[in-house]
Amino acid sequence: MGNKQTIFTAQQLDAYQDCTFFTRKEILRLFYRYRDLAPQLVPLDYTNHPDVKLPYELIGSMPELKDNPFRQRIAEVFSEDGEGNMTLNDFLDMFSVLSEMAPRDLKAYYAFKIYDFNNDDFICKSDLEKTLNKLTRNELTEDEVRMVCEKVIDEADLDNDGRLSLEDFQHMIVRAPDFLSTFHIRI
Amino acid sequence: MTSYSNRGFFNPAYHDSETLEIDKRSSSKPHHANPYAGEDPYRNWGARTELTDQTPRYDAEQQRTAHRGGWQEESWRGGEGIPMGPVSTHQHDLHYSTFQIALDSQYDGSPSIPLPSSMSGNMTMRWRGLAMRRMFPNTDPAHVAFTEDAIRNQMENEEQDRVNELVAMSTRERIRAIRELPMSFEEKKHIRNQVQAFSRKPHHFTIFEGCSENVSLSMRRCGYSVRSTRQTLELWHGIMKEIGGKFGSSVLSYFVFLKWLLMFNIFSFLINFGFITIPLLVYNHTPNVPPNVNFRGLEILTGAGYFSYTVMYYGSYSNETLVGLVEYDMQLAYFFTIAVYMVLCGIALIFSMASSFKKNYTLADLASNSAWQLLCSWDFSVTNERAVKQRTNNLSVQLKESLSEKGQRELLTLSEKVMHFGVYLGSWLLSTGLAVGCGASIYYLCQYEQQRATDAASWSLLQEAETLLVPFVVSLVNLVIPLFYSLFNKFEHYSSQRRQIYALVLRNVILRMSILGVLCYYWMNVLPDNFSCWESMVGQSLYRLVIFDFFFLMLGSFFGEFLSNVIGTRLLPGLGVPEFDVARNVLELIYAQTLAWIGIYFSPLLPAIQILKFFILFYLKKVSLTQNCQPPRRSGRAAQMQTIFIFLLFFPFFVGALSMVAYTAWRLTPSEQCGPFRGLNNTFEVVGEWIDGLREIPGSEWAVWIYQHVIRSEIFYFLLTLFILVIIYIFWQVSQGRKELIVLLRQQIVNEGKDKNFLRDKLQNLQKSHPEKHPKQKKQKGLTKQRSDGHPSGGQSNSNAMVQALLARQQLEEEEEGRSIEGVPVPSDISTSSALIQAMMARQRAETHSEGLYQTPGEHVSSSSTAARQRVDGRERSTDEYGSSAIRTRVRAEAEDLDYLPASSIMMQAMDARQQAEEEERFQWVPAPPQNLAPSGSSALIQAMLARQQAQNEFDDGY
Repeated sequence: MGNKQTIFTAQQLDAYQDCTFFTRKEILRLFYRYRDLAPQLVPLDYTNHPDVKLPYELIGSMPELKDNPFRQRIAEVFSEDGEGNMTLNDFLDMFSVLSEMAPRDLKAYYAFKIYDFNNDDFICKSDLEKTLNKLTRNELTEDEVRMVCEKVIDEADLDNDGRLSLEDFQHMIVRAPDFLSTFHIRI
Repeated sequence: MTSYSNRGFFNPAYHDSETLEIDKRSSSKPHHANPYAGEDPYRNWGARTELTDQTPRYDAEQQRTAHRGGWQEESWRGGEGIPMGPVSTHQHDLHYSTFQIALDSQYDGSPSIPLPSSMSGNMTMRWRGLAMRRMFPNTDPAHVAFTEDAIRNQMENEEQDRVNELVAMSTRERIRAIRELPMSFEEKKHIRNQVQAFSRKPHHFTIFEGCSENVSLSMRRCGYSVRSTRQTLELWHGIMKEIGGKFGSSVLSYFVFLKWLLMFNIFSFLINFGFITIPLLVYNHTPNVPPNVNFRGLEILTGAGYFSYTVMYYGSYSNETLVGLVEYDMQLAYFFTIAVYMVLCGIALIFSMASSFKKNYTLADLASNSAWQLLCSWDFSVTNERAVKQRTNNLSVQLKESLSEKGQRELLTLSEKVMHFGVYLGSWLLSTGLAVGCGASIYYLCQYEQQRATDAASWSLLQEAETLLVPFVVSLVNLVIPLFYSLFNKFEHYSSQRRQIYALVLRNVILRMSILGVLCYYWMNVLPDNFSCWESMVGQSLYRLVIFDFFFLMLGSFFGEFLSNVIGTRLLPGLGVPEFDVARNVLELIYAQTLAWIGIYFSPLLPAIQILKFFILFYLKKVSLTQNCQPPRRSGRAAQMQTIFIFLLFFPFFVGALSMVAYTAWRLTPSEQCGPFRGLNNTFEVVGEWIDGLREIPGSEWAVWIYQHVIRSEIFYFLLTLFILVIIYIFWQVSQGRKELIVLLRQQIVNEGKDKNFLRDKLQNLQKSHPEKHPKQKKQKGLTKQRSDGHPSGGQSNSNAMVQALLARQQLEEEEEGRSIEGVPVPSDISTSSALIQAMMARQRAETHSEGLYQTPGEHVSSSSTAARQRVDGRERSTDEYGSSAIRTRVRAEAEDLDYLPASSIMMQAMDARQQAEEEERFQWVPAPPQNLAPSGSSALIQAMLARQQAQNEFDDGY
């Protein structure tokens, strides 16, 4: 316990606990997970806010992420620079949203961003195709991909603009209760 | 939402706030009670430093492109109740008749600028940029300069509104709201600090408030540490993670359910042990065993013999009032412990069932299957490589199936339908028949056993072993018959997998209910007449059932999973590795739990056995799962299944157990010789006697009155029932109304979509029928023409040119309004898009020149982009010569740049330009402007008109 105290100040821990869904213990556990990715880079003393960023290659190699087809997108969405390089804060952010405690709307918002590959605030056909290819490892033919994407848009697009806005997506999520348990990474 | 408008500005506390003070200072603004007044210095400054102001736009643009997520104010506001700024700003600005700026801020989707103020707060622009962009999806970088101030105000307002809103909340809610903000940690922390600073600075600071602040902080820390400790105590975290990683959340739900039941049992064990057993043991700790009864070992299986004289069963509890430090009435303790436990269980079940229904069933919709499969079904918790591979394969198979499904469904002929119906009917009859048959045979078996058993103090070994027959048969039936049911299921053709599972589950429930019903009937009606201490006999039977159920669960996983794994991998590879059957396994758990509930009255320590059983079962199932099974092929809707299971646990099983225990307590005569209730007519009488005893104590008349007039009066229950029925009816009606409302709202969304399409078509037609229109102002027309003419290439770039033309005209108009706003200088590197901004800025400046406004070029921003260089050239040239040649150059440069960009961004710009153009015209009360168009530019025009449509709507709302 003694050396744990020196990683963060009490104020820092309070801030972390107030702004994420984690307890002190989990925050420390996540810190050690983060540090284990690159022990030579991450200092054990975070009281003076060191500016440390781990590259995506390290983040993506975590066992929780390494087999996830969306790992790069996840890292990009949650990283401050948008390229998947993460500070400890980004790292905590990511797992906070993916934790069990996060509410549906928050999860839906980030899931939407993850699926929105071209960052245009809409899930359009090209995003869906990318999603599909990631999920099926390019096993569907082009025709099938197109049909599935059309079907998805047909089903979920409420305002008929040919793409899914965040509202459409949230509307769909509300009707898919499993989402809460599947958009969840245990740490 | 406009009610929140600028509360921060009018709130005196805002001006006292230290944190906000920093904001104001750093954004080079003096105190301003009027947000508009604060704009002037900034704008002037921007105008002075003409060149340096280029850089922030690079930055802003990069921010924008980097984080173009979607953040919708409206929908999120609904969810969180945190008001956000832009609309209120608009309202406010209208008040101050800064119409132009307000409109810009409202409709111009300019990227947000990293302000000094935001830098000081260590804020990144991720979220705020998004907020802006979401509100105004059509971004026109060229308008950055015009709207910076407005945006800055907006952002400040937004933030202040949010902070105000958060300050108004209670600490707990505030933390929750902050946590749920979709921002990065840094942004959340910034908000949090602001809120804290705000709330820590009350108008009149007192010691008391300081204390309460400290207290609340320490309370919060205390709460966190409690949560932390609870997590430490959490069982099987690592195993759960492993299972979830390998098998996904649907299989994991079985283990979660198992754990939940285990907690139930631990709770009931603690209650029973603490309030019934411990007092008895303290009072009299040697079991009252007759001398000829010894522990022989078989008791562990049968629960009879030696065990029947221990505190395990009802029979050995005393009916006396234990006299120690305090008087402890065993009768009352026994009765109330069981009653309270049952009530608590019921409440817990009802609550978890209701919340589960609310979450998983109310809005669940089967229609969007593909969308669900694609976007919601991926299990992020799966971390095992093999499992991921399998999932991807399964998903592609499922998607292919769902694509070909449509064709298959229509092929069903009438004869096929009749045949299917016949199969359903047959299998239902068969399975119900089997269930009834099993129930009847068990009843006869029980009778046979009862004839052989005697009411002796000690049984011979053989007699004791004979008691094992019934539990053995019952457990065997429970193991074997479901296998038959699964077999029937293979012959039936269900249209969906869900129906198939529901049918299977329903049949299993009927089977188990019939068995339990028969057993209960036997225990209630036959045993009391034949045994002197019949409650203990029932307790023993339940004990045996629980033990045997456990053995058969182990056997089940051996046969069901291990053997089929061996067969599937070695003998018949066609069968494949088995999957973990969640439905069957969960039903087994429910059955086991029901036994424990029924037994709670007859054998108060049965939960201890149950705890042990579930604990071992957890590891057993885990090993069996990881060794024998493969991840499920179909990713079903696990959450809904789980709701069904909790419902099943509650409805037939818990309610059944409860009514059985209640019947026993109200109707049956307790045995004469043993147990806490000996000598009473029924168990409930204990309450009556207690009340009678209370009469003598002065001051307790009210309790007696309540007992006489409320508990024992039918009219009370009648009224209560009536009242509940009325409430249920009202809620039912409300929910019906809501359902209708949902349908209407959905319809409305669809209609709006149709409207949009219709308008789009109409605009398209309109535009085709009037290809040539005249600009409303000569000068503008000239400029537009020049640009269009000056354009070197056709096709795509033609539409680009049109877009540019629109933009240019728009800016021109704004120039005429006498507004020139420049940006804030922040150095940044240059990307294509920022180069575009540069080009546009330059063009705009060129136009400014042609309008006769002179601006001094400042220092040049170093730029690697050719466009930027061209911009500089262009500006220089335009300072020398007025007019069209410079503009033409600009347009060309921009067109080239635009070709690198995705078409969507061009469209966005077009829409934006168009919007603003419309706004301008509205403001000037001039009819819609004409456009000079090349045919290839038509789509851009449509977009633009559409945008205009929106703009109009919004503008009208603005009034």
